[in-house]
Amino acid sequence: MVGPHAAQLLGQALIAPAAILVLCIVAGVGTVMLLPGRREGAFRKIGGAVALAAGLVLAALVARSAVPRSAGDGYFWVFSAIAVAAALRVISHTRPVYSALYFVLTVLASAGLFVLLHADFMAAALVLIYAGAILVTYVFVIMLAANAGGGGAEGAEYDLYAREPVWACAVGFAVMGVMLFVIFDKAGALPAPAAVRAGDSVRDLGLYLIKDHLVSLQLAGVLLTVAMVGAVIVARRYLSEAAPDVSGQPAALGDDNPHNIPVFGTDNPRQKQYPET
Amino acid sequence: MGVVALQHYLAVGAILFAIGLVGFVTRRNLIVLFLCTELMFQGVLVNLIAFGAYHGNLAGQAFTIFVLVVAAAEASLALGLVVLLFRRRNTLNADEWRDLRG
Repeated sequence: MVGPHAAQLLGQALIAPAAILVLCIVAGVGTVMLLPGRREGAFRKIGGAVALAAGLVLAALVARSAVPRSAGDGYFWVFSAIAVAAALRVISHTRPVYSALYFVLTVLASAGLFVLLHADFMAAALVLIYAGAILVTYVFVIMLAANAGGGGAEGAEYDLYAREPVWACAVGFAVMGVMLFVIFDKAGALPAPAAVRAGDSVRDLGLYLIKDHLVSLQLAGVLLTVAMVGAVIVARRYLSEAAPDVSGQPAALGDDNPHNIPVFGTDNPRQKQYPET
Repeated sequence: MGVVALQHYLAVGAILFAIGLVGFVTRRNLIVLFLCTELMFQGVLVNLIAFGAYHGNLAGQAFTIFVLVVAAAEASLALGLVVLLFRRRNTLNADEWRDLRG
């Protein structure tokens, strides 16, 4: 798929550094306006439009420099536009539930990019682990804390105001500008890409992991187990924090006599006055 | 890799990382802070996969698996800590914890 024109293509896909600078400044200003603050909604919508326009101009510049086009390129632009726009909404939405759902959109778009890069298994794993497992955990915690902060329908008070949006955007978009500058400036110095791997990528990946990274794979399993146990320990509710004791005597932490455990519906003097659920 | 070349994917990864960085600094909600770290992870993952496809080997995908493992471990522990902190002060505001005293 990658022919002799690839090296010359890499040399062509350059953008003037000034253009990157201006676009990063414009996108930064748009993001400052987009972040939640003490301003009305129309102002934030304008900021979002400015940031989006900067992204589109950058995409147009990059697309113009990549002269020979192929049919699959459209998917790249669609997926990356969805990923970047959803990421902007993640950091700018005032309600955490919507932030989490927009993050799912970013993950799905990234999975699309992975498919374009012939990483089929990683795309599936990303959807399963990120969008499936991790984000569901996030949504659970968000629901658990749904009524915190005393806010109204808009969300909690601390979600409505960004902290130091100007300086944060200055730093963040400076980092982005530097990275984009390096990426597009050094693109001509890259060697030609290797040939696309043919065959069953999932099978190859499994064999590669077992053959070359066996110990790392086992360590990853150990790390997950340790993290799971640690999360249980950290979030455990201690006995002193539990429901108020009926008998008036504080329950001793070291008392592990099973007959002293309060049970609903028994003659135990320290039984609870309410069922467990 | 098609005509859309390596640096396009690297640019997407860089933009995702920078947006996550901005969000991590500006937002006050503990859960959204961790969502922004996951955004930064996304940028890194796109970079890893793009380099793996560019070099034609599987190291990028293998590293992505390990990054996913670390992200899962981090999410479980971080959310456990968030639940603990929420139980203490009944708020998710990160500014409440700026002095790190219980």
